[in-house]
Amino acid sequence: MGLLHGLPNTIVVQAFKHLPWLASRWAKRHQFVEGREIPWTPVRKPVAESVIALVTTAGVHLTSQEPFDMEDPDGDPSFRAIPSEARKEDLTITHKYYDHSAADRDINVVLPLDRIRELLAEKRIGGIAPFAYGFMGHIHGPHLKTLTERTAPEVARRLKEDRAEAVILTPA
Amino acid sequence: MGLVQRAIEAEGIPTVGISILKEVTQKVRPPRSVFLRYPFGHPLGEAFNVGQQRTILRDALAGLETITAPGTILEPGYPWRKHHFDRAISTRREGTAHAPLL
Repeated sequence: MGLLHGLPNTIVVQAFKHLPWLASRWAKRHQFVEGREIPWTPVRKPVAESVIALVTTAGVHLTSQEPFDMEDPDGDPSFRAIPSEARKEDLTITHKYYDHSAADRDINVVLPLDRIRELLAEKRIGGIAPFAYGFMGHIHGPHLKTLTERTAPEVARRLKEDRAEAVILTPA
Repeated sequence: MGLVQRAIEAEGIPTVGISILKEVTQKVRPPRSVFLRYPFGHPLGEAFNVGQQRTILRDALAGLETITAPGTILEPGYPWRKHHFDRAISTRREGTAHAPLL
């Protein structure tokens, strides 16, 4: 993010939202944990018969849960379990690294709980897993290790316990 | 997001991720993705645009069944703004699968 170094966070956030080339430039230069072999689990049954779970890295959590840590510049690698029947007034977003004004008005922009319920009512999916999981997707430095070695595998195990048969992930 | 997706897939659950930054997705290499050229904070499009959100979610679900090559990124190419999106989508039959582009 060298080009914008030193600018207030709110300006950086708007710049990244409105200038796609800036995000591309950042993505090309930034060092990611790059994948080599791609994990693969074949889809064994039709989506219309499968229990679907949602996972988001847009910083969504219940208002009653502890917010993500906004003080640590490396982010917060923890997660929040969100009951799938949660209503929009029960949900909030803690994430200062993107403009979530649209998602604040309509949470379905980042966590489509209403839409997935509609698809269930129309029998286009077989079920909804009991929990969605919320991460805050701005994780750097030592927290990347915590995410890849601890919290992401823990959510994966929980999704298994929840009997999720397929997962849709949404970013910020 | 891709790192979480990879962890879930590795645990034995099929996953599909919505991507709004293709460069990141190409580096992190999650198993299945649907890419949209949308601004940060809008993976399912605009607030209260139910049709747009539905279409994107259904495309992601369809990707679970149609993607057979690990690392595939589907690109439905939907326009960002509502009026453009609605026009584009009305010319396509709902539920049409898109050819993988990677």
